[in-house]
Amino acid sequence: MGNYSSRPNRKITKQDTAILDMKIQRDKLQQYQRRIQVILDRERAIAQQCLEKGDKERARLALRKRKYQAQLLVKTDSQLETLERLTQSIEFALVEKDVLFGLQQGSQVLREINREMSMDKVERLLDESADGIAYQNEISQMLASSITNSEEAEIEEELEAMRREEVFLQLPIHMIDANYLLQLVKNIPTVPETELPQPQRGTAEGEAEPEEEPARQASKSRNRTEAEPLMA
Amino acid sequence: MSTLPSPTSTSSRSTSFPFPSIYSFPPFFTRQPNSQTWTSQLSLWNSLILAYCRYNRIWRIDLNTAIEWDLFNNRDINRSLKLETCKEVLDSMVKKGDAEWVSGSGSHVSKNTSAIIYWRRPEEWANIIADWIDSTGQKNTILTLYEIAEGDLSLSQDFRGIDPTILRKALDVLIRRGQAQIMKSADGEEAGVKFFGSQ
Repeated sequence: MGNYSSRPNRKITKQDTAILDMKIQRDKLQQYQRRIQVILDRERAIAQQCLEKGDKERARLALRKRKYQAQLLVKTDSQLETLERLTQSIEFALVEKDVLFGLQQGSQVLREINREMSMDKVERLLDESADGIAYQNEISQMLASSITNSEEAEIEEELEAMRREEVFLQLPIHMIDANYLLQLVKNIPTVPETELPQPQRGTAEGEAEPEEEPARQASKSRNRTEAEPLMA
Repeated sequence: MSTLPSPTSTSSRSTSFPFPSIYSFPPFFTRQPNSQTWTSQLSLWNSLILAYCRYNRIWRIDLNTAIEWDLFNNRDINRSLKLETCKEVLDSMVKKGDAEWVSGSGSHVSKNTSAIIYWRRPEEWANIIADWIDSTGQKNTILTLYEIAEGDLSLSQDFRGIDPTILRKALDVLIRRGQAQIMKSADGEEAGVKFFGSQ
């Protein structure tokens, strides 16, 4: 409970003295009850002794006294109860006061924090961050579009290359520029690597000279292009 | 008021106190002339008295009555400690801080007949009481001194029935630590104490 620093509670307050007084009273009542209990026991012993001696009258007297003391005991019991209940309600009220104090402090702190977080500030902050986000988006869009532009160009180029290749392959062999063909052969190597069922057909050959693959592929297609005009 | 245990009641209770073997050694009850032997005899008596008082929960020894306790009388070997020797023993205990002479209540002419026996020092009692306050959630509450010694809540505590003088000294320790404050009743008597949380 953190209210030690905020509240000078290391002092004896008026309530404290009131509680103390009541507790002292309670102690006194308890002591009184003990005394009565002793008297009760003694009177009973006296009555018994008298009865043994045959002194009925004395025994009766002792018992009568005992009865009276017993009534006192009952009375003090109820007094004690009242006193204790009062003390307890005071103590509980003090606890409630502490709780209220705590609540007050809590709400005050909350209010201060809320004041620091004014609506304007939050709105401005949100606006600012929205601006920032927009700016960021713009930048990334620009970057993205520039990248796609260059990529687009590459794609176009590639497409063009492919188309040209197709066209050349359609032509009769004697019309193909030898230099171009050579270049084509060099550019191709990616193709056979993706489809590698070759080792199954000729393992030793495929592993020994994988460099030759593209060349073979090229010559094959050349064979095909040679055959085509024959068929036509 | 602390009621001093009567010889009869102590002897009946102390039958269960396990006396050490030295208790059955006849010379133990006679002051030894050799100073070295006497010193060790003193310390043996010292620990025996502390153990006996702790066992029987005796807070004070009044030599006028205590000299007849079986603590100082071994009837089996027919030996008993002389009053002067007993005083010497207590004197040495006072020097060690295990006991303290208290001025006899009025009628006693001779000084040094009644002593508080510290089978726990006031600092120890202070710690025990502080722990008890802590564990029973009684910080920031007001307790009467009577309640601490005799109340319902302290029934099974070690300080049950503690001598008021010892209690006051233990509370003084707590007050010095800032953990408690003594309160006076309407008639100006020190009757209560308020406990605080420790910092």
